[in-house]
Amino acid sequence: MPRSFTLPNGKIVTKPKNNAWIYTTIFIVLFALFWLFIDFRARDIQLNQFDDILKQMFSPYSAGGIQETWKDYFGYTSKLVEPLIDTMKMSFAGTIIGTVAAFPFSVLASVNIVKNPWIYQPFKFFSNLIRTIPLMVVALIAVLFVGTGILSGIMAITFFSFSIMIKMLYEVIETVDMGPNEALEACGANKVTSFRFAVFPQVVTTYIGYIVYIFEINIRASAILGYVGAGGIGSILKDNVLYRYDRVGLIIIVLVVLFSIIQIFTNLIKSKLV
Amino acid sequence: MKKNRLLINPTVELALKSQPKTYWFTILIVLFMIYLIVISFEGSGINEYRLAQFAKSFGYMLKGFMNPDWEYFFGTGDIWEFKDSIVLAAIVTIAIAFIGTALSLILAIPMGFISARNITGKATSKTGDVILVFIRTFPEIVLALVLLRVFGYNALTGVITIAIHSVGMLGKLFAESIENIDKGVLEALDAVGANWLQKIRYGVLPQVLPDFISISLYRFDINLRSSTVLGYILSIGLGLKLAFASNGPDWNKVASVMISIIVLISIIDYISGKIRTKLV
Repeated sequence: MPRSFTLPNGKIVTKPKNNAWIYTTIFIVLFALFWLFIDFRARDIQLNQFDDILKQMFSPYSAGGIQETWKDYFGYTSKLVEPLIDTMKMSFAGTIIGTVAAFPFSVLASVNIVKNPWIYQPFKFFSNLIRTIPLMVVALIAVLFVGTGILSGIMAITFFSFSIMIKMLYEVIETVDMGPNEALEACGANKVTSFRFAVFPQVVTTYIGYIVYIFEINIRASAILGYVGAGGIGSILKDNVLYRYDRVGLIIIVLVVLFSIIQIFTNLIKSKLV
Repeated sequence: MKKNRLLINPTVELALKSQPKTYWFTILIVLFMIYLIVISFEGSGINEYRLAQFAKSFGYMLKGFMNPDWEYFFGTGDIWEFKDSIVLAAIVTIAIAFIGTALSLILAIPMGFISARNITGKATSKTGDVILVFIRTFPEIVLALVLLRVFGYNALTGVITIAIHSVGMLGKLFAESIENIDKGVLEALDAVGANWLQKIRYGVLPQVLPDFISISLYRFDINLRSSTVLGYILSIGLGLKLAFASNGPDWNKVASVMISIIVLISIIDYISGKIRTKLV
């Protein structure tokens, strides 16, 4: 195919250069290289188990001569209420403490408020570093610190909310209109007053919106934090997995319902805020 | 003095006075929040002993960060071989995230087209949406726990978990991107007599491809984090190293695993961020 065409009116049109094959090759090479590190033995795979597990998860327990009824299956929900409340407590306390603690750090990390790169750059760097640690890893470390239970869960969620809030918030603060701030400073207001009356009103709605958003993330994540010992419904999950699949199935149903309710609530709050 | 200053300009004073007094409402909300937090801490077993333990462990952790186990990190020295090293574990963790994300595209792209309202009808796209919402809400770790009975404790389980779970978010974002395409191009292609396949290739693909790559890279960042966590459950990669180090706990090893996680994720975040800003 020719690279350029001459149109009837004498104009010459060239075909745009296409680098797609280079990127495709890089992708395929990476895929092949990484595939070498995925080790498994084909004889370990038991696809027929899949059907079996699904059946075990969504039907009453029956094994070793014991046959439970659907009433027993859903009756286990009463045992899930307390861990679920624990999960909610953990996410609530952690979200509020973490996001409120993040506020001063975000202010110190924003270019337009601090103006001194020796102050804001370290804060930015610090926030980028701690943001990379996954919540479950934080929870595991928290369990090492204070032992199992809700306390480690609250600590982990506090740290996680704190770490993701700093960056989200300083990006908002950096985009505010600095005109009102200048006007107040021209009137003789000091830095704190001008921040309180010129910058804060511009960011507060977004800030509350982000708190709701982080709360939603935390509730989803904290449901499984118990797996590493940080309290909540995850601990029940860990106790029952691999031998009571009916209870695992029930926990999944409860979680999906809970997440849907939370989603509806947060959407309501978000639509109220805007 | 204060009163005098206000009296200089009576209209300002009037305006201030006529403002609704909202601060009582704010104080009430704050008090309620504090009350809820206090309730949340009840039964968490917080006491002096635990706080002292926290301070002590924090000190150990800092000491560990001052002196990470570099021999374990690179698999050098007399005790450790390269196959036990954190570096190899980090490569396995990236491999799981990369292959998982790549495989999820196979399912996510068709799901994106199915759930896009302008490609299929209203009923079909709604069905696609519901499937995607269900996949998104199904907790990833529970999925891994179910799949490990089928595939065993190995990296493949991690790959398949990530591949299935990512479809939920990828499909939704792909559908949104397809819904935003410029219809004019498709009409122009219709006018020159392009068939269905040519319309997708020359009308839809060039418009959505940058978006698709950017979304996939974003999901790859997320999956790298979850592949670390899945490693803890499936005994592979960095998760296994972390579980191993927290046995004891050996703070120098914990610190070296944490350093590897932070460095790895920072590097990948940086690279994918650079590519994404270039695409837009």
